[in-house]
Amino acid sequence: MQRFTELVVAAVLLAGLYATMAYGLGLIYGVLRVVNLNHGGIIMAGAYVGWLLHEKFGIDPYLSIPAVVAVSFVLGIAIYRGLVRHLPRGPAGAVQSLLLLFGVWLVLRNAAYLLFTGNDQTIRTEYSTRSVAAFGLALSVNRVAVFGIAVLTLVVLHLFLTRTFTGKAIRAVAQNADSCTLVGVDVERIYSLTFGIGTALAGLAGLLGASLFSFNPSYGSGDLLKSFVIVVLGGLGSVMGTAAAALILALVEVFAILALPSYLTGAVGFVLLVLVLVLRPGGLFGHRVLG
Amino acid sequence: MTPTTRILTAAALSLGAATLRIGAAQAAQNTIKIGATLPLTGAEARIGGFYKEGYEYAFEQQNKEGGVKVGDKTMKVELQLLDDTSTQSTAQSLADRLINSDKVNFLLGTYATNLVEAQSAIVEQNQMLYVNGGGAASAIYKRGYKWVFGLLAPVELLADSMMKWIDEQQKAGKLPKPAKIALLWENTSHGKDFRKGVSEFAKKSGGGYEVVVDESFELNGKDFSALLGKVKAANVDLFLSDSHLPDYITMQRQYVTSGMCHKILSYGARGSEKQAAEALGRKNVEYILSAVWWSPLLGQKNEIAKEFVAGFKAKHGREPEWYQAMGFETARALFTAIEQAGTLDKAKVREKLVVMKLPSLLPGGELTFPAEFGQQSHAPFVVQQNQPDGSAPIIAPADAATGKGVAPNPNCGK
Repeated sequence: MQRFTELVVAAVLLAGLYATMAYGLGLIYGVLRVVNLNHGGIIMAGAYVGWLLHEKFGIDPYLSIPAVVAVSFVLGIAIYRGLVRHLPRGPAGAVQSLLLLFGVWLVLRNAAYLLFTGNDQTIRTEYSTRSVAAFGLALSVNRVAVFGIAVLTLVVLHLFLTRTFTGKAIRAVAQNADSCTLVGVDVERIYSLTFGIGTALAGLAGLLGASLFSFNPSYGSGDLLKSFVIVVLGGLGSVMGTAAAALILALVEVFAILALPSYLTGAVGFVLLVLVLVLRPGGLFGHRVLG
Repeated sequence: MTPTTRILTAAALSLGAATLRIGAAQAAQNTIKIGATLPLTGAEARIGGFYKEGYEYAFEQQNKEGGVKVGDKTMKVELQLLDDTSTQSTAQSLADRLINSDKVNFLLGTYATNLVEAQSAIVEQNQMLYVNGGGAASAIYKRGYKWVFGLLAPVELLADSMMKWIDEQQKAGKLPKPAKIALLWENTSHGKDFRKGVSEFAKKSGGGYEVVVDESFELNGKDFSALLGKVKAANVDLFLSDSHLPDYITMQRQYVTSGMCHKILSYGARGSEKQAAEALGRKNVEYILSAVWWSPLLGQKNEIAKEFVAGFKAKHGREPEWYQAMGFETARALFTAIEQAGTLDKAKVREKLVVMKLPSLLPGGELTFPAEFGQQSHAPFVVQQNQPDGSAPIIAPADAATGKGVAPNPNCGK
């Protein structure tokens, strides 16, 4: 029973991290129908911004969340206005957007190599290796904090999308952009805002990841793949679905260790992805249900 | 211009060009061109930079002494270094370019097993002499390649060196017999070699060790809690893992927060890095055991190492790590073989490397490329253990030791 509890708790905490990683990717795809291949690059950039704030100014990574989110948001808006909005909408622009955003990722990564070299960096705080007791287990303070922030992000995002005018406009644009134009919604503004929010969420994921792991300029590529799996599992464009899919993926990966060698547990998620794409292409929780 | 003038002008120009070519060829004959690629950008850029420092220092020292004596002539050595960007395809194509377009006399190796592995096939096809200090996986040397020489001893030997020290502690009654081992290894050739080394030692021990957890994990893991939970449930005595620096930091963070403590704790070649102590806190890396190919502490016992450490420190203002030492020694081995052969003929230089017994800065004090191991050095590893004062003395082998190791881990039960 103790072992079961341990695995469940490990999966739930891991799900928090996974969900934070995937929210941004899901949101941008859900509204703009653009697969943001630069998601990994922004995760990496978020990690470095947090690290810089910690190294240069001694700011705790959790206190630097507003700054990292703001920087990532502005970066997202700039990428959208400077690049993405010039691409054709819909399937015609799909390949171009993939290539363009992949290119932006390469530029970001190589810029990071130039600025910070390939050295692995870490953010160490006095609570980095501290634990709290719960359910008869010793839980990492950092992991619990990341989980808490993931839940908070989910709640805020859900409330924003369902209770505010802008949030409702985002959901409306996700459903039918043309009709929104007819009723006076500034679709371009909504696209720009959504891209900014999605990018800010990726930056937040990078910062949270940096408080747990060491990272270098190639950080983020593995996270991008995991995020894809989660977003597809949860249904493209579904925020609640994303959170649920993150939990399912984490549970499957963690419990797989009971039956599989540890190095194969990461592959279980991809098997799950293939199964979902074949059996339920709209994701486990359908799609286009932002919020 | 009349036809006669045109002919005369062309003849004069041809003569001039021929003279220039002869002059260039003569200059080239006074220089030995040695090619190399290193990962100066990309994922391995940091370590690639360290190897570059080692190579450059070796070339500088050699040229300071006049160069390499080839027969009755002393020739300068010139390093043609290219950036392989940490990718296999670039490492291969640049090796091909150095051999076939730039016509270098010899090649020095790049860093990281996967890149050396990629280049080794190219150099073998082109019968180019290739001395490397960056590829440790024994798989590279088991292919029967004739032109590939490696200075890094296999990781199996790393595990073996560490287990020998652990065995001494067990024989001294400091560790239980049989001792239960949790063996965690990254799913790479490095990890597989480590696993093989520990498993074989345990098998040969006649019941001294029992591997009760034997699990591999993917590089750059996000969560090791399930894996560590398995280790915790198995109630082992020795926690032996093999991982790269990022996974070492992530795993050790989770290990510490889970409240585990084992009589022996190791992450293979990782453990004594300053960066890890900074990321984890000095207290959390205490008594971690590691085994590495070289340590600047060898300078206390080995004259060549002492001279290298002093010279490098004078140039760079800091102590070298094993990467720079390997780069330096790789180049030195090639220079020595050329001198011994007295010619730039690759086959003859190769013959000298095959029988080489070079007094070396490596542990054991001698560099050889044993044919039975596919021309891969089997120099011993040095075993180090982190101490509470922040130092990591060499604790084995005895002839290189600069301090005493502690077992079992005094922090357990505190």
